[in-house]
Amino acid sequence: MRRNGRTVALVGTVALAAAVMAGCSSKSDSTEGATIIDVVSTDDSCTVSQTTAPGGKVAFAVRNAGTKVTEFYLYGADGKTIIGEVENIGPGVSRTMTATPDAGTYITACKPGETGDGIRAEFSVG
Amino acid sequence: MFANFLIGLREGLEAALVVGILVAYLRRTDRQHLLRSLWAGVAAAVGVSLLFGAILTYGPRGLSFKAQETIGGVLSLLAVGVVTWMVFWMAKTARFMKAELEDRMDAAVAVGTFSVFLLAALAVGREGLETALFLWAAAQATGSSTSPLLGAVIGLALAVAIGWALTQTAVRFSLATFFRRSGVLLVIIAAGVLSYGIHDLQEAGILPGLNSIAFDLSSTIRPGTWLATLLKGTFNFSPVTTTLEVFAWLSYIVPTMVLFLRCSKLPSNTSRTVNRQAANA
Repeated sequence: MRRNGRTVALVGTVALAAAVMAGCSSKSDSTEGATIIDVVSTDDSCTVSQTTAPGGKVAFAVRNAGTKVTEFYLYGADGKTIIGEVENIGPGVSRTMTATPDAGTYITACKPGETGDGIRAEFSVG
Repeated sequence: MFANFLIGLREGLEAALVVGILVAYLRRTDRQHLLRSLWAGVAAAVGVSLLFGAILTYGPRGLSFKAQETIGGVLSLLAVGVVTWMVFWMAKTARFMKAELEDRMDAAVAVGTFSVFLLAALAVGREGLETALFLWAAAQATGSSTSPLLGAVIGLALAVAIGWALTQTAVRFSLATFFRRSGVLLVIIAAGVLSYGIHDLQEAGILPGLNSIAFDLSSTIRPGTWLATLLKGTFNFSPVTTTLEVFAWLSYIVPTMVLFLRCSKLPSNTSRTVNRQAANA
């Protein structure tokens, strides 16, 4: 019985891990070869190191230099459709968001305090 | 450090409450032997989340936003399923206990080691990846400051302590009170998890209506405060909630709660019949 429980636990773990990994490999974005864009979010500002990127992968390295928890979004031209998002960027923490946007116009937004429309700016690809 | 502490608390609270109730349940129904499967489930979820989070943080590959939201959304829906199953499994046990049929209970509400394992693994693993990514990001910041990681870990530790305190409190209630209160709490938690899962899938673009907002209370319940943290951590209450989330929340909680309250209550005539049968047996 005890051995049975352990086997079941092991099989479950492996299955869970496999499922998660499968999800990863099929949909992940490599940061290698990506255009890396530095973003600094404070309580009242959002500095994006460049406002244009060539086509292909883009990695936004978002650093929270403020005192509130922040989020970073890449919206479509309508300012609503979420292309990419990274939440839970605590003060002093950096997190990276990768995306492969098509050529076009986008909107970046930092959301210090995790609320509201955020501090927005235009961003173009291609 | 305080803001990171609140994130840790928020991410860990709901899982700690579900696990806390499950531990209390297994103890009160003399099923200590299943605690091993429970902790195996918790350990598996923590292990897989931390490993996967580390690969994504330190490895060359990141996870696309859509994939992460989809994983979070699907795991949340699965968690709602198993927590609901747990609620009715507990209600069934409560019926047997009230009918003084403890000796027959074991066969009727027998539960496999795998069910307990899966329940614990999903309760913890549902938000495990996001929590792990947050922890690894905080760990990476340690070069310049240890306070983010310290805050996050203290927040998670407080969540675990609250779960433990719940277990200790639950042991003191009468069995009937314990079953009823923990069942009601679990139904409310599961409704929140459903709403959260729907939101993840809306963000991923799999479900529509992300910008159809039912209410926005963010000026009253401001994110980053104790109140918002506890409401989000326990009931997955989001100050900005979409119409579809409200619809899903209500569609789940109303029938489930009614059914639970009915199931956990034994009608008096049935009670007598069952007792007589038990006496004859």
